[in-house]
Amino acid sequence: MTATVTEKTAEESAAGIGRVARVIGTVVDVEFPAGEVPDIYNALRTEVSIMGQSQVLTLEVAQHLGDNVVRAVSLQPTDGLVRGQEVRDTGSPISVPVGEVAKGHVWNAVGECLNLKDGEQLEITERWPIHRSAPAFDQLEGKTEMLVTGIKVIDLLTPYVQGGKIGLFGGAGVGKTVLIQEMIIRVARNFGGTSVFAGVGERTREGNDLILEFEEGNVLGDTAMVFGQMDEPPGTRLRVGLAGLTMAEYFRDVQKQDVLLFIDNIFRFTQAGAEVSTLLGRMPSAVGYQPNLADEMGILQERITSTRGHSITSMQAVYVPADDYTDPAPATAFTHFDATTELSRNLAAQAIYPAVDPLTSTSRILDPRYIAQEHYDTAIRVKQILQRNQELQDIIAILGIDELPEEDKITVARARRIQRFLSQNTFAATQFTGVEGSFVPLADTIEAFKKICEGEYDHVAEQAFYSVGGLDDVERKWAEIQKEL
Amino acid sequence: MAGKIRIYRQRIRAVTTIKKSTRAMELVAASRIRKAQERSQAATPYARELTRAVSALATFSHVDHPLTTERPEASRAAVLIIASDRGLAGAYSSNVIREGERLTELLRSEGKEVRPYLCGRKAASYYRFRRRDVAEEWTGFSDKPAYSDAKAVGETLIEAFLAGSEGGGVDEIHIVYTRFVSMMAQRPEVIRLMPLEVVEGEAPPASEEVLPLYEFEPSAADVLDALLPRYVENRIYHCMLQAAASELAARQRAMKSATDNAEELIQTLTRQANQARQAEITQEISEIVGGASALAEATAGSE
Repeated sequence: MTATVTEKTAEESAAGIGRVARVIGTVVDVEFPAGEVPDIYNALRTEVSIMGQSQVLTLEVAQHLGDNVVRAVSLQPTDGLVRGQEVRDTGSPISVPVGEVAKGHVWNAVGECLNLKDGEQLEITERWPIHRSAPAFDQLEGKTEMLVTGIKVIDLLTPYVQGGKIGLFGGAGVGKTVLIQEMIIRVARNFGGTSVFAGVGERTREGNDLILEFEEGNVLGDTAMVFGQMDEPPGTRLRVGLAGLTMAEYFRDVQKQDVLLFIDNIFRFTQAGAEVSTLLGRMPSAVGYQPNLADEMGILQERITSTRGHSITSMQAVYVPADDYTDPAPATAFTHFDATTELSRNLAAQAIYPAVDPLTSTSRILDPRYIAQEHYDTAIRVKQILQRNQELQDIIAILGIDELPEEDKITVARARRIQRFLSQNTFAATQFTGVEGSFVPLADTIEAFKKICEGEYDHVAEQAFYSVGGLDDVERKWAEIQKEL
Repeated sequence: MAGKIRIYRQRIRAVTTIKKSTRAMELVAASRIRKAQERSQAATPYARELTRAVSALATFSHVDHPLTTERPEASRAAVLIIASDRGLAGAYSSNVIREGERLTELLRSEGKEVRPYLCGRKAASYYRFRRRDVAEEWTGFSDKPAYSDAKAVGETLIEAFLAGSEGGGVDEIHIVYTRFVSMMAQRPEVIRLMPLEVVEGEAPPASEEVLPLYEFEPSAADVLDALLPRYVENRIYHCMLQAAASELAARQRAMKSATDNAEELIQTLTRQANQARQAEITQEISEIVGGASALAEATAGSE
């Protein structure tokens, strides 16, 4: 399909020229001569000049309206665009540079480099269109292996899958981005392969922090970054994820590498879709989202996958509007993940970081078929204790803790210790806390929780468990606390 | 959102049910305190007379009765803990049990072995949960003790005391109970029951009161033999009555605060439920309006 169009533009470049018929915000209707209507997803280009500066506008065809009119979404602000203006069909979808050249640079959704030094020239040898099909079913990786992060709560309760998809859910300000950064520090820095970061509709400052982060870790040379932050129009935010993904796919399929793909934040992708959906003339569906919400998400998510031998491990932050997990956007994203880490406001309010909700977060591989039986048993035991504690909270609120039976008093005491022990000092927070992060090996994590569940640490005060690494740290802190007394 | 409302409503219902029972228990406890107090008061004249008699006896006769002699090498002590049978009385049972623990600790530090005698299911379950040995336990009468209950307890204790530590019994007996000070205050207290300190009775005879001169028939020792167990039982009975009144007062207070807490919880939950309901309504309206205007726009565009 793409090939034929390319051919056409090659032989008669004047053929694909249309005129702007209507502009509604970022959505532009363009009329083309009969027989030269561009395909859906084709990129269109036009030049606008605002205040003496001329600028190239990229549009992407989203719909055919009939009568030789296409409806396109602009990837840049449409200020200065006027009716009747010439629009050129490029004959192919938006494409981004792939391969070695992508590494160490920052790109935007249309594949322009944003961090060129003065006079620096990039030789772009290969570009891939950002719309591609997902790998065939028989190409998919069947093997399942755990990815150890060194964060207790994650390793124990929501073990991540190597080559899997991981969702970090959370409302505003509970620590999604910090956790993503923590993952970059923990995983990407000690990772042999290539990392791709797609910044979708989040803060520009965070993008800047990230570049520094990668530079510090000396992995900038192995990292490609694509940004379309919250100041960009919805068209860009809708496509920047795909641009990043396309680069990751190239590393996986052509360079045969293991790839880490970070996306912050996938909700903004859905949000951008909702912003243009009504302008495109679709009827809003539940909660005002686009009617093709599940489809849009599926097309993106299905491409993020591991093929035989070459993996894309992706970590995606998902914003949860108003802490409501039943909101269609997070609910649609939810089904695609292998492991879901839910961040809870309640825990963040208690300053327990990372604020991973131990009861709702889960993983596909929290199953004795994939992880050690001991790991599974300990995780279930921890969840049971925390669940029981939660059930008792109402009784405690009404009647007081003295009314609980002896067994439950012990359960509550252990649950409180476990809750605190699930917090951990992180690398990303070093600048706030002044405490270095800690990496706890999986075996230590399992053993520690097992011991706490069995009551071996019932004598240690709760605060000794707060924001520490392994049991050694607990004992050290406990000794300090006792000394102070 | 719809799910949220349902959860809130469910919790409101649950808390309302709890509130109903705590409210009922509060009222029941309140009405029973009065009775418990009356019982305690009704027992006072007998106790006073008994104390007087024992005091008189102890003062005038100089017999060494086993129940009054201090044993120099006391090696084992009995601790009678009077707690409640049922919970929902706030910290009532835990307080008295904690006082018992403290006494146990103290006695141990004096080199005495402690044998616990327990009244009330709460104390029994506390000890059972910790797998501790219990010498004897009595349950089923904590909020309405009868004299026969006190008698049963007293007999067991006296028997153990008379046997002495060499005979497998004990050398001292302590009681831990909760003293009813007022409706608002109940204090856990420890008294040493045996060896008897006779004068520390509830209503000691006033010093200016001249005691009549008694002749004891057949002998002072025999009279003491008959009187002392009675006195001991009476002391225990008194403690039990005090404890019962305290328990009811503690329960009334605990239930009152539970009812208040439940009310507060219901209020918070109702607010959250209302908010969720309102959010749902707002959302539905905006969906309908948005959908309608999109439709209108679409039809307007095609014409």
